[in-house]
Amino acid sequence: MCGFTIPGWAGDDLSFNDQEVPTSLDDFRQIQKTLQSHLERARAATVCLKLENGSGSGVIVSAEGLILTAAHVTGGVGKEMTVIMEDGTQYRGVSLGLQSETDAAMFQIIDDGPFPFVSYDQEDTTKLGDWLFALGHSGGFDQSRGINVRVGRLVRDAESTIQSDCMLIGGDSGGPLFNMNGEVVGIHSRVGGSKEESMHVPLREFQRNWEQLLGEEFIGEGPFAQKGVPGTGFLGVLVEPDSDHGLKVIEVWENSVAQQAGILVGDHLIELAGEKLTAELFREEMRRRCAGDVIELQWKSGDQIKKQKIQLGQRP
Amino acid sequence: MEKWGSDQKAENSTRTEAMRVLTSIFLFFGPFLAANTLPSEKRKNGPLIQEALAPVQVYLQESSAVFYDNETYKNFIYGTVVSADGLILTKASELDQVSDYVVRIGTKKYRDVKVLATDTQWDVSLVAVDAEGLKPVDLKGESEVELGTWVVANGASERRFRRPRPGIVSAKRREIPGGTPAVLGIRFKMEDQKLLVLEVTKDSGAQKAGVKKGDLITSVDTMTIESEQSLVEYLRNKAPGDELKIGIEREGKTLELTVALVARHELYGGPQNRNDQMSGEFSARRTSFPMVLQHEVMLSARSVGGPLFTLEGKFLGMNIAAANRVESYAIPVENLSELFQRLKDKASIK
Repeated sequence: MCGFTIPGWAGDDLSFNDQEVPTSLDDFRQIQKTLQSHLERARAATVCLKLENGSGSGVIVSAEGLILTAAHVTGGVGKEMTVIMEDGTQYRGVSLGLQSETDAAMFQIIDDGPFPFVSYDQEDTTKLGDWLFALGHSGGFDQSRGINVRVGRLVRDAESTIQSDCMLIGGDSGGPLFNMNGEVVGIHSRVGGSKEESMHVPLREFQRNWEQLLGEEFIGEGPFAQKGVPGTGFLGVLVEPDSDHGLKVIEVWENSVAQQAGILVGDHLIELAGEKLTAELFREEMRRRCAGDVIELQWKSGDQIKKQKIQLGQRP
Repeated sequence: MEKWGSDQKAENSTRTEAMRVLTSIFLFFGPFLAANTLPSEKRKNGPLIQEALAPVQVYLQESSAVFYDNETYKNFIYGTVVSADGLILTKASELDQVSDYVVRIGTKKYRDVKVLATDTQWDVSLVAVDAEGLKPVDLKGESEVELGTWVVANGASERRFRRPRPGIVSAKRREIPGGTPAVLGIRFKMEDQKLLVLEVTKDSGAQKAGVKKGDLITSVDTMTIESEQSLVEYLRNKAPGDELKIGIEREGKTLELTVALVARHELYGGPQNRNDQMSGEFSARRTSFPMVLQHEVMLSARSVGGPLFTLEGKFLGMNIAAANRVESYAIPVENLSELFQRLKDKASIK
């Protein structure tokens, strides 16, 4: 038990976890006292992950800003999203790997830390009936409300899914489920038919794939995330080689991501992901890229060199 | 004969096969269910947890009123007992939905129920039954409690027994701004500086107030109608349950009708978002409250109106909305106390 290292720790009387049910109000009070002793730290590490349409939650587990979240929140590898802390502070981040069959995913803040973080249940000690609490940005970020807290028990324990009776809703996805040591034991994934059925990805599923997730791998064939289809990524420019100047833009599609990025007819595309662009490289990259992928493009517009990360659109 | 025999044999062997499959499924799931699933009675909203809350149940039993629909015999809303002689506060917009009802407090039934006054801002009605010796909630208390504090409210009700349901204070106290679009329930177009009513929606406030197709609307409250947009803008700052005075010209006569606004989704269905769809029976009026205490006791539109207590039986406030699957709102006791005074003044009660 690492509880004694946590500031505000209420003592290690977790005997309520050994009881079938609380038998007195004092048992409830002990649950409350323990939960409250972890809340400040747990809330500080719980974040909202903001996407273009919609949002999910996540939890920071290292001072460098490593975040655990759900695969259906990040939806892929290398996706940029905004991280919002409970006080409204925003950071930039990018998704790492995901396990599309269990809904586990990692995300990294790219701004400089250190960040507030929590530890996770590395020894997989949480058992059926244990009291838990769930945090998340239910329905999206709401500064006047703050993070939503819910309490419940571990009601079902299966290999790749754990179930609690902490109630969840859209926006909570990817948020943390804590045990009464203040450690993350699961990540919110989905809900069942009744309000009291909440499914979470157990931490052991993260640990099993830890290195691949860190290594930006897309694991499995779904259903929680779908691999992009190569060739569907669309920048929206027609180019021709222009000797040493790079690739000359001869047409820009209306409403394309290229147009939104400010690329103009007559500009020259110079570098893609740090590599000097040739017609061959460009063709090969576009054949490989999927809609939603982010590319780092450098181009010359008049005398100006521009550099921007561009998320590819869907090829019409 | 022979053919019949062979068919039967085939059927028998299929049945054996099916049984074998079933048995193997059972063996696979049987021990798994037993070992890895917490029985429902031990879960947060289960009966064994309710039993452990018996000391708080006493307060719910004494100070909750339960409103029963006389047609369906179902309870459709709760109330909070605020005086020994039978004054009750409840959620106005839900009470309005039923015309014939009785009230139970403790084990006693009260048939004669009077609505004395209503406050549309908080969506609360003051109701009276003829009683004495009731145990009202303590309106002098305060509701400042730490996040994560246990609270208990009415989960379900038996005729003689109020069942406690637990939860915790789950977010910051705050104002809930307006947000549920409120509508009159008419389709209209602008004609000669007046709004011509083209259609009146069934069950809308406009229909109930007697607005008719062909009416010309000249004013809303104190505002003269100048454009379609001016009415739309005016409605934007209103909430379901609010009442508007509508000035109308009909066949050369002028008249004034009072129309209660209805939540758009109640009248026209969608657009509900995905979170609404997964929230079951939530309160139609769930926004536009000056202050709420948020908790996560699982409530529905039918179970608000009752009191919210701490484990110690301290009255924190009155449940006013089941906002969605994870959020329930209560009017804090401080605000409720002021509101009670205002409603008494309105009803001329000392």
